[in-house]
Amino acid sequence: MINLKINGQSIQSEPGKTILQAAQAHGIEIPTLCYHKDLNPTGNCRMCIVEVKDWRIMQAACVTPVWEGMEIQTHSEKVEIDRKLTLELMLANHPQDCITCDVSGECELQDLAYEYKATAPEWGSKGTRYPVDSDPNPFIRVDMNRCILCRRCVSACAEIQVRDVWGVAKRGFDEVIVAGANTAMLEARCESCGQCVAYCPTGALSNKMNYGMARAHQVTKVTTTCSYCGVGCQFDLLVKKNKVIGVQSNPNAPVNGMALCVKGRYGYDYIHHPERLTKPKVRRYLLEGKKKEEIREQRVVNRKNSPTDPLVSSPWDWVNVEWDIALDIAAKKFMEIRDQFGADSMGFLTSAKCTNEENYLMNKLARQVIGTNNIDHCARL
Amino acid sequence: MTNKKILYPPIDPEIDKLAQHHGGTREATLEVLKDLSADHKLNQTTITEAARALHLPAHEAYGMGTFYSMLSLEERRKVLRVCDGPVCWLKRSTVDGGQQTMADEWSSMVNGQWSVERTSCLGLCDRAPAVLVEDEQAGPVEAGEIKKICKGWRGVQTDYSKTRKGEVRVMTALIGKIDPDSIDDALSQGVYEGLKKALLSEPTVVLAEVESSGLQGRGGAGFPVGRKWRFVASEKKTPRYIICNADESEPLIFKDRVLMDTNPHQLLEGITLAGYACGASEAWIYIRGEYEYQARRLERAIEQAEAKNLLGENILGSGFSFKIHVHRGAGAYICGEETALIESLEGKRGEPRLRPPYPPTYGFRGQPTAVNNVESFCAVPHILKNGAEWWRSLTDDSTPGTKVYMVLGHVKNPGLFEAPFGLTLRQIIKDFGGGMTKGSKFKFALCGGAAGTIVDKSLLDIPIGFASSQKGISLGAGSFLICDQTVSPVSFLRELLHFFTVESCGKCTPCRVGTWRSLEILNHMASGQGKQGDTEELKTLAALMQDSSFCGLGQSVSIPMKSMLTHFGAEFAKAER
Repeated sequence: MINLKINGQSIQSEPGKTILQAAQAHGIEIPTLCYHKDLNPTGNCRMCIVEVKDWRIMQAACVTPVWEGMEIQTHSEKVEIDRKLTLELMLANHPQDCITCDVSGECELQDLAYEYKATAPEWGSKGTRYPVDSDPNPFIRVDMNRCILCRRCVSACAEIQVRDVWGVAKRGFDEVIVAGANTAMLEARCESCGQCVAYCPTGALSNKMNYGMARAHQVTKVTTTCSYCGVGCQFDLLVKKNKVIGVQSNPNAPVNGMALCVKGRYGYDYIHHPERLTKPKVRRYLLEGKKKEEIREQRVVNRKNSPTDPLVSSPWDWVNVEWDIALDIAAKKFMEIRDQFGADSMGFLTSAKCTNEENYLMNKLARQVIGTNNIDHCARL
Repeated sequence: MTNKKILYPPIDPEIDKLAQHHGGTREATLEVLKDLSADHKLNQTTITEAARALHLPAHEAYGMGTFYSMLSLEERRKVLRVCDGPVCWLKRSTVDGGQQTMADEWSSMVNGQWSVERTSCLGLCDRAPAVLVEDEQAGPVEAGEIKKICKGWRGVQTDYSKTRKGEVRVMTALIGKIDPDSIDDALSQGVYEGLKKALLSEPTVVLAEVESSGLQGRGGAGFPVGRKWRFVASEKKTPRYIICNADESEPLIFKDRVLMDTNPHQLLEGITLAGYACGASEAWIYIRGEYEYQARRLERAIEQAEAKNLLGENILGSGFSFKIHVHRGAGAYICGEETALIESLEGKRGEPRLRPPYPPTYGFRGQPTAVNNVESFCAVPHILKNGAEWWRSLTDDSTPGTKVYMVLGHVKNPGLFEAPFGLTLRQIIKDFGGGMTKGSKFKFALCGGAAGTIVDKSLLDIPIGFASSQKGISLGAGSFLICDQTVSPVSFLRELLHFFTVESCGKCTPCRVGTWRSLEILNHMASGQGKQGDTEELKTLAALMQDSSFCGLGQSVSIPMKSMLTHFGAEFAKAER
């Protein structure tokens, strides 16, 4: 174990840990911005600088390993002045539009500015250098004016999703984050997973589908498990007025952490879709006990007479019924098919959206009730 | 599982061929991009294709294509790069008052065949005002001489064959005495004798000799060369590598160019000796892209040395094999920082790495690597040939050996000379620079390099060495720009900040925005629009950059700022109104 002092407090830390890790393990907070525990630290933003005794310059806590006898000041006057100034340098080129910004309330830059009472200086571009909403990606909204060049999106794309879409272009004051060779994201191999959005500390990358619909304090977060496949990713549904308006990564998700795929993160609009199937329905002719061959002609006649009249009922109409009726009809049809064509004329395809138990029952239905081994599953994303 | 295979269109065969020609790995990226740029073919499509051919994500190639200043995605014709380094600025400001940059002026004068661009210091300070015509160095070129330049005139080379009074020449001893392109000339003057002698003893003996010589790195930091090599040699991992830092991009510095130009074999010998001492197998000379002329000279020298078995397999039957490659940069001051240089060599944006780990443990390709300056390598053969004792006996100063100095600006006899450590600025100006030019009175000097200290006359008599920066005068890479009463401290600092702003890599916030804001303030002050509080803000920004920038280059921006404000605070206060 390594012995060191942080703010006068003697602590012990394992060798190889960074100052930040050692501090956090002992409840000492150091502000960070470009650092995220899931990503390789880069030490870019210089928010986590601390004073180390006998060192000429300040050290970034997120990347500097601890050593024996180290004496660290995390909130000395000098450190606090520099942090505030660094924040002001970021704010100088960041739009002053928190009042209409989507991520206000969960923006890490805003939180730090609040903590350090840092305001935007008079000079700077104030976020007027790039076009707003500059990428045609259907899910991800890009506004590089709000970017503070922390490069978390670059790391998230490279390290978590391994798609290497985002990169850094130009240099110095002109430095900018680009997708691929400065193309649209989708042209740069983007699969719209939204990891970059999840890791962006500001509103530079946000979600297009619910842009302008609600901010952090206006939604209730409901943690749930994704229903798309068998992986079992967890995330938070953002609920406003009893409606799901978005999905957000939940950092405590045991299986997936912050990672989600495009379906999990953006495939939620079926929930309140008007065409979503919520009750059992059967075709009218089945309800009336008719056969397909009998009604084929009638359909043609009806269509000819009044092609647009909704009141003229067709035997093909969907009719809402009770579960028992629907199930009885389905069961009857299954039996007929099995008896007429044999059990192997049927196949059963079950779903990753179902629970294990439901899939087990489906398996029983196929093999024991119907008597076929034709059963399969869709969990092949 | 889908059976459908995604069919990508084949990679552009021409670009694929180019990529394979340069090795086909990511390390070839810069060379591929440079070739494309030279053919005026660099654009988003070709960059994407190049990335595919080199198995890179497109953003990496694009990030590089937009990082290095010699590459351009814009359509251009033959390129004329006009240096706007501080020395060239000083020369020109006396002509046109510094109102208009030469690049602006020339743009309107050249015919359609040329594109005129500004560029950061070209390392031709002894030929100021300098320009780079495609890849040919030219200077001195006055504003009116553009027509001559377009016709092929390249100015005059500076002649250093004559020794100045008081000089002790070791590394520069053969200037003018040999044809740099002839290895026979070099051999007849004793080059490679240090290597021949060293190969008869064990590498540990060579290492011990360099260690006991007390040779300190000549790039500016003065880290003991022997100790660095010891770190590398004691690493268990192999292969180990040697890198020669010839990315001499700091304004005021051109000694490495002269050393490579006048005696390339001396450098090759030094690098080979480093390889022998460290147990390395390969070396790279990372030379700045603007030094194409010198790069070609080095390549010729390597070929000659290989033909004489002074390089290559089983050198002189000793069983030691060693290869040296020349790698050209493409315009980036930051690549002089050793970890940024390694990143660039690996085919990435030239951004500094986190330290630790340091290059001796984790360097090029993650292997133990010794990175040293050209001048450091050039000193080594002499130490091995004549012994560590001799090297120490060259001086009475606490720092052993000699140093190549440069004196520039308003002195009668600007240029390069070699002398022991411990000179005072007064000696440099009077004894070596021939005194101030007629009508000039010493006002201030920029000492070390662009990131050095600015001193006024109160520091004229302090002996200069690696430790003198604590007294306010730095040695750095050994250059001294002398300015007279006509130079405005505000404008001068603006020129320096212009350089740092253009060359900031952009990785960390304090340097990326701090340099830009400082320049903005200085632009206002220099044009008579300063306002109260400007000086205070400059001080605050300097302190921030010094304390919390990511790398040494960002931290060192504060050095000229702080020292200038200390010595000439009154002039800055005047500029506030």
